[in-house]
Amino acid sequence: MSQQIFAAVTTLTVVFCVLLLAPGPAGGQAFWREDTPKIPMAASWLAEKAELPPYNPPRTADGVPDLQGVWGGSGGDGLSYLEEHEYVDVTTPAQESFVSDPADGKIPYTPWGLAKRNEILAGLGRGWPGESGERLYSSPSAFCLHYMPRFSLSALEIVQRPGSVIMLGEEGYRVIPTDGRPPISEEAKFWFGNSRGHWEGDTLVVEVTSLNGRGWFDSTGHYYTENTRMTERWRLADENTIDYEVTFVDPTVYARPWTMNFPRRRPGTGPNMRGGRITSAVAANAPAFEDPYAGEIWEDACYEGNREGPASLRALGYKWFRGVTPPQ
Amino acid sequence: MTDREAISYDLLAVSITGGSPVRHWFLRLMFGLAAICALTPMPSVGQTTATTPYTPLRTVDGHPDLQGIWQVVNTAAWDLEAHPASLGVPAGHSVVEGGAIPYQPSALAKKKDNFEQRATLDPETKCYLPGVPRITYMPYPFRIIQQADKVSIAYEYLRAIRYIYMNGNPHPPGPIDWWMGDSRGRWEGNTLVVDVIHFNDQTWFDRAGNFHSDALHVIERYTPTGPDHLLYEATIEDSNVFSRPWKISMPLYRRQEANSELLEYQCPAYLLEQEWDNPASTLFDEH
Repeated sequence: MSQQIFAAVTTLTVVFCVLLLAPGPAGGQAFWREDTPKIPMAASWLAEKAELPPYNPPRTADGVPDLQGVWGGSGGDGLSYLEEHEYVDVTTPAQESFVSDPADGKIPYTPWGLAKRNEILAGLGRGWPGESGERLYSSPSAFCLHYMPRFSLSALEIVQRPGSVIMLGEEGYRVIPTDGRPPISEEAKFWFGNSRGHWEGDTLVVEVTSLNGRGWFDSTGHYYTENTRMTERWRLADENTIDYEVTFVDPTVYARPWTMNFPRRRPGTGPNMRGGRITSAVAANAPAFEDPYAGEIWEDACYEGNREGPASLRALGYKWFRGVTPPQ
Repeated sequence: MTDREAISYDLLAVSITGGSPVRHWFLRLMFGLAAICALTPMPSVGQTTATTPYTPLRTVDGHPDLQGIWQVVNTAAWDLEAHPASLGVPAGHSVVEGGAIPYQPSALAKKKDNFEQRATLDPETKCYLPGVPRITYMPYPFRIIQQADKVSIAYEYLRAIRYIYMNGNPHPPGPIDWWMGDSRGRWEGNTLVVDVIHFNDQTWFDRAGNFHSDALHVIERYTPTGPDHLLYEATIEDSNVFSRPWKISMPLYRRQEANSELLEYQCPAYLLEQEWDNPASTLFDEH
């Protein structure tokens, strides 16, 4: 079977799965077996990281660590469910939590924040245990919207240029100025927020402000607000691994700052390659076939190809998620 | 010059000389030269005139450095052809060489129909990927990023990313219907030449209903003409719609603000939010 046909069949399969599962998480959807071993995330990475020797990264001509290249994302269940969980259904296999701090792997919501999170979870309308029967919101990813931190948790290519770090994704991109300029006014809010980077030792530290609070962390309603600030830390742990850590601060919904942590691997590297599971074409350029196009990213046109998705969700009575408004 | 064009210029000569056929060899030569001049691409359509060629800076790979944030300053997004002002629409000169787009007669009728119904038919109103070259002259900045294997263009509009591969791979075999087509680049001197095929027939060239079929073939040329200017040219071929290839050209300006950066225009998010609670919305009717 030629690669083009293979790619077309793969695309059709993905589209079919998305349609079949709607309303649910769109894009890169996979069917998971109940006996899938628990997918490693923060806890396994913390244990692995503790055993790694210090690493002295290569440097660019500017003298900063060279993070360039294609990097996988978090992998796992495709950002279905952020906290530790056992098998729920074909969309959501057992997986460790993304949360490395607090140590219990739970997002430290305030009581009000947790009540709101549980309300969203109970209104997903996915047939999960504990649902209220009311349909509330569907993941913004079901509408093919692009937002933080979902972009940063996905596969991407890092390109470094004087004064900026550029991250190229399968559908979309991000430019992080590293020239010391101030961020845009917090009055201006964006789905991606506004990113500013600087180097602390061998770590690229990115402060994200001006988030509009419309995105979710996963497909099942873990949320942030327009008050949330996000600090990412990108550091080479070894030649083929970035230690990606991201901390969220928002006293209006979280009782204290909390952190996600997972490794990003160069394609085709890393222990068990996460079972060869790939969440994005960006990470798919391990030369499994002698396909000259294997490293290329081809048009996805998620929104353009997903006209039925929003229409059916609206017909089912889902509301449009406009972010949460914490009490003052 | 084709035979048909030669005939038309003879007719032009006839009309200018008051009906008497131009038989004298000298006059014929003059009219012939005038015709050639009229057809030769001239640096007249919005092009920065450079008497001495500009020598651009080079990237580490040795190619002209086109990187940075660029944006057009013209009204091509509303209408590629010359147009008057109307409510919310600034007037503008044509960016089409020769002025008019050479539609086949049946296609011209469709263009006029598109124009009449542009408020509902323009794919921009549905927030779809706008295609090439339209995305270049929409009123949003974009950033060019060069690497050894590709040139990437990051557009503020839709946060769209476009990969122009320079890795030696030819266009993949079709048929493929992509909104933005398949882009393959090469260098000709200081010019980045991008060959784009594999389009669908869903996008327009502007808000005035100028359109194409899925046989569209676009050849873009990005040429640095100064430290802060690129000349953008796009040749458009589509034998289903046009009687001959035609060309647009315009300068691209480097954004000068010290704080310039790509922000975002996430059209689908704004549109869906607006229409979601509108009981009379037709956005969701297609299905």
